[in-house]
Amino acid sequence: MDLFLQYLANGVVIGSTYVLVAVGLTLIFGILGVVNFAHGEFYMIGGYAGIFAITVLGLPVLPAVAVVLATAAVVGIAAEAILHKPMKNRDATSSIISSFGLAVALQNATLIVMGPQPQRLNLDVSKIPVLSSLPTDFGPVFLPQQRTLIPLTMVLLIAILYVVLRYTWTGRSLRAMAQHATVARLCGVRVERVAVVTFMVGAALAGIAGMLMSSIFLVYPIVGNMIALKAFTVVILGGMGNVAGAAAAGLLLGITESLTSGYIANSMRDIVGFVFVILVLLFRPQGLFGKAVDRS
Amino acid sequence: MKTLLAAIAAVALLAVAPFGLGGYETNVLMMVLFFVILAVGLDLVSGYCGQFSFATGAFYGVGAYTAAIMSRDLGTSIWLHLPAGAVVAGLFGLLLGIPALRLKGHFLAIVTIAFQTIVYLVISQWTSFTGGQVGLTMPNAGPVRIFGVTLFEFGSLRSYYWLTLAMTVICLIVAWRLIHSRLGREWVAIRDDETLAGAVGLDTTRGKLTAFVAYAALAGVAGVLTAHSLRGVTPDDFTIWISATVVAMMVVGGRGTFVGPIIGAAFLATLPEFLGKFAEYKMLIYGVLLVLAITLVPEGVVGRWRARTSR
Amino acid sequence: MTVPILEAKAITKRFGGVTAVNAASLTVGKGQIVGLIGPNGSGKSTMVNLVTGEMTPDEGQFLFNGHDITAQPSYRRARLGMARSFQLLRLFSSLSVEDNLVLANHMRMQSSLTASILDRAAAREEEAAARKRARELLAWFDLQEFASRPVTALSIGQQRMVELARGMMSEPTLFVLDEPAAGLSPPNVDRLIQLIRRMRDEFGMSILLVEHVMRVVRDLCDHVVVLDSGEKIAEGEPEAVVKDPVVVEAYIGTGWKRRAQG
Ligand SMILES: Nc1ncnc2c1ncn2[C@@H]1O[C@H](COP(=O)(O)OP(=O)(O)O)[C@@H](O)[C@H]1O
Ligand SMILES: [Mg+2]
Repeated sequence: MDLFLQYLANGVVIGSTYVLVAVGLTLIFGILGVVNFAHGEFYMIGGYAGIFAITVLGLPVLPAVAVVLATAAVVGIAAEAILHKPMKNRDATSSIISSFGLAVALQNATLIVMGPQPQRLNLDVSKIPVLSSLPTDFGPVFLPQQRTLIPLTMVLLIAILYVVLRYTWTGRSLRAMAQHATVARLCGVRVERVAVVTFMVGAALAGIAGMLMSSIFLVYPIVGNMIALKAFTVVILGGMGNVAGAAAAGLLLGITESLTSGYIANSMRDIVGFVFVILVLLFRPQGLFGKAVDRS
Repeated sequence: MKTLLAAIAAVALLAVAPFGLGGYETNVLMMVLFFVILAVGLDLVSGYCGQFSFATGAFYGVGAYTAAIMSRDLGTSIWLHLPAGAVVAGLFGLLLGIPALRLKGHFLAIVTIAFQTIVYLVISQWTSFTGGQVGLTMPNAGPVRIFGVTLFEFGSLRSYYWLTLAMTVICLIVAWRLIHSRLGREWVAIRDDETLAGAVGLDTTRGKLTAFVAYAALAGVAGVLTAHSLRGVTPDDFTIWISATVVAMMVVGGRGTFVGPIIGAAFLATLPEFLGKFAEYKMLIYGVLLVLAITLVPEGVVGRWRARTSR
Repeated sequence: MTVPILEAKAITKRFGGVTAVNAASLTVGKGQIVGLIGPNGSGKSTMVNLVTGEMTPDEGQFLFNGHDITAQPSYRRARLGMARSFQLLRLFSSLSVEDNLVLANHMRMQSSLTASILDRAAAREEEAAARKRARELLAWFDLQEFASRPVTALSIGQQRMVELARGMMSEPTLFVLDEPAAGLSPPNVDRLIQLIRRMRDEFGMSILLVEHVMRVVRDLCDHVVVLDSGEKIAEGEPEAVVKDPVVVEAYIGTGWKRRAQG
């Protein structure tokens, strides 16, 4: 029983990362129809940007977050220019292939610049207000503050995203685009700007996730591979384009993996999600939480 | 007729090539041939039948591991492994083809990626059966005998090269016949308009499944050849990045054309050799090329050339 | 009334909240040309898709030559002798005119696929016969010189004719035509009327004809069924149906609504 709660907590931490990466992925798909295989690289770049800001520049946490966000903004603009702008009026496979190419290029550029050795972000939690005063023992569960930070950040960012989508002009434009691109365009939504913003939001969420995770796990050039694949799993389980679904499915996947590795076998943890996804696509293609939609 | 002569000349040139080349170059040429089989196979299902797949690496791996595991547990020879690899990989192709019946576009792409990942995870983690991360080693293919008379010993690089060349030619002939048969025309019909294909009485289920099986079986053959030629298998030769590379070869050369993927494979597989000391940039250049090709020349070099000349 | 070739019995099809076809029935007799008319959005194309199996009905039953085909997919219905044309014209866009026709003949070929892959004589002969037949049909439609051209090189009017030729290639017993006159110039409409009549008279086909152009319906149809909002509101002889106040009301009603909205 004690272990169960610990597994659950670990699952929530990992799951929160999946949520952050998958929500951006599902937004980009839902709003722009782009299947972005380079999304794991947004995460990887966030991790390296965080290390650069904190270790090399010696910045405190909040300015470091600003560096990560600025990097994500640049990445988002560039990715939109490559994956979306030239691909309008093309079939879905064009952007898939292109994002594959972008992922390969980014990974190998990073490999050349940073080298293959994994790196860690030394996040000194004692300097972060509030967080440093949090306990690390919750009954039978031990949770270092670096880990607690991840679900907290996730909840905060998803809440901000929710408010932005709900109450701002930009957010309403995004949702209008997701409903019906042509109608939105006719109603005066500036599609080009919406596209760039969507990519920037996706890159920012994934980048923050990469930064936070690299204080627990390591960052290396191909770290994004598995994360992107997991995020796709989450996006499908949650129903493609469904933000709330992705949030729920992300936590669910994290917890399932953690329990699988705890009670069945560690070697099974990564496979579980993919088996799930094939079953879901075969029997419930709209996702676990989605309404029925056309599959094509 | 002219094309046939050109093809025969090309094969003859490739057959005598090892006499003029060193071991390293022969090895490179052999890698090119593996990729030719993979890219032409992928073109059947993607280029002709219009069904996306990022799982080439998985079928390639299934073929390779079939050979390695049969050789370890049964002590069988390459002559049995070649058909066995094709059949086992073909069955896996059927398995992936079933979801493909119901899914299109990015949904299908994602299922193939999930499938690729599952296969990779199984071969890299099921240590007792597949050797795990370390993989498996293989003995020499041994002597080739006819009626008890030893024709030649398998072992030299050249013997593997010639076997690979012969199998490549056979695979290309199979692909050529498939494309130019009634089945190949049905694949194109399914790619162009699946609803219409059904309306004119074509069994689209059969069409898609046969395309997946043919594709997977060819990749399986390439896997068997690779396992024997490299004297072993490791999971990292069968990742999603192999799949992506093969997609790049097909796209750069030209989807839905016969020579396109051959040219794409030859170009991208030899590219690192021409890069010289920049070879470490190989994958970076692949990535950039893939982005540029799909953005600027989505129909591939052969497709573009055809469009030019037919005008 | 002749022997029915197609019977649609109380067919209903819903799309989410929209009931596109509502408990509609119709019968096509052997050798008959039956018209299916109604204002835009009244469910005609949906009915065609249900007849040929591109969609399955939520309720109701289809009989073809007396056999229940409700659960059969479209390719099986084609093999039983149905062919169709599409309101928004559909052809295999990367193939030649002749290949488009030959594909419609695949299902009738006797030689095995293996024979075709191995390039056996049996398959070759059958293929040659199919090509010969395709050329004859194209000549019938005055399109013989386009046989080896890509379909996309033809004008819309010519492509419509290719669609009809493709339908005839499979020697159907029931040909379902969804607005074949759409986008044709008046002289071409006259030709179309003659062609459809000859399909019935020379080839003995039964025809279900969805059409907007009243002249075509009047000239050709033995019997007309009128849909409005998915429901059958009238049927009978063309002349009588066109004068039926309920039908006039349905057409004028929507015409008036459209003008009011525009
Ligand atoms: N695939 C579909 N999905 C949702 N609604 C549809 C679909 N096809 C047709 N409809 C709706 O069904 C109704 C009938 O359409 P249709 O059969 O095309 O009419 P017609 O051919 O008589 O103009 C319309 O309201 C149309 O919007
Ligand atoms: Mg219609």
